[in-house]
Amino acid sequence: MESGERKYKNKDITVYWKPISCIHASACINGLPRVFNPRKRPWVRMDGSVTEKIIEVVDKCPVDALTWKWNDEEKNKTVGREHPNHIKNRRRSLLKNDDIDTYQGATIKIMENGPFVINGGFLLERENGSRSKFSGKVSLCCCGGSKLKPFCDGSHRAIDFKS
Amino acid sequence: MMEENKKSPVITIIKNGPLKVAGNFTLLKENNYPVESASKVYLCRCGKSSNKPFCDGSHREAVKG
Repeated sequence: MESGERKYKNKDITVYWKPISCIHASACINGLPRVFNPRKRPWVRMDGSVTEKIIEVVDKCPVDALTWKWNDEEKNKTVGREHPNHIKNRRRSLLKNDDIDTYQGATIKIMENGPFVINGGFLLERENGSRSKFSGKVSLCCCGGSKLKPFCDGSHRAIDFKS
Repeated sequence: MMEENKKSPVITIIKNGPLKVAGNFTLLKENNYPVESASKVYLCRCGKSSNKPFCDGSHREAVKG
């Protein structure tokens, strides 16, 4: 669910980012820092250089963290081994379906007979309108029994809450 | 940082009422299966809803908090 994969497009190509594969070899950020800048969001800026340059640098990624394809499907057919990180050579499954999981945000898990467990960054707005930032795991009461509302204090067990 | 803030969901505690969740989030069951939901949901926190995890207005009869 939380792979955080991304795709970035310009008029010619799509670049795919698969964070779980990254080994921080830095070929991208050293090769084309105006396109690949991990301090910025989005960290890949397709308008930072020309298509040929982006392809050249993406092809230098030693793993499948960065791959690419032509937006023109016909052009993809003519690509061979000269482009090691074309999806044809690295991530073939994307040729058929590139509907990658781009989720980035928070998940709210509804525990059985238990609280809402929020994982990831979120803003909590209190009754008085004040907002505080949270990240990581926070459990919020869903049974009405907590003495630490809005947080869970485990009371759902004491009151034998059933969801 | 601003962009990240925009992406984070906002969870609002409604006085004596449900949690309002809006923004970029995914609802999951305990087994990690996603629950279909709108981009803004109201989650029951009084324990009385008959439409859990969503609010059905039952809190008006239930415990204050």
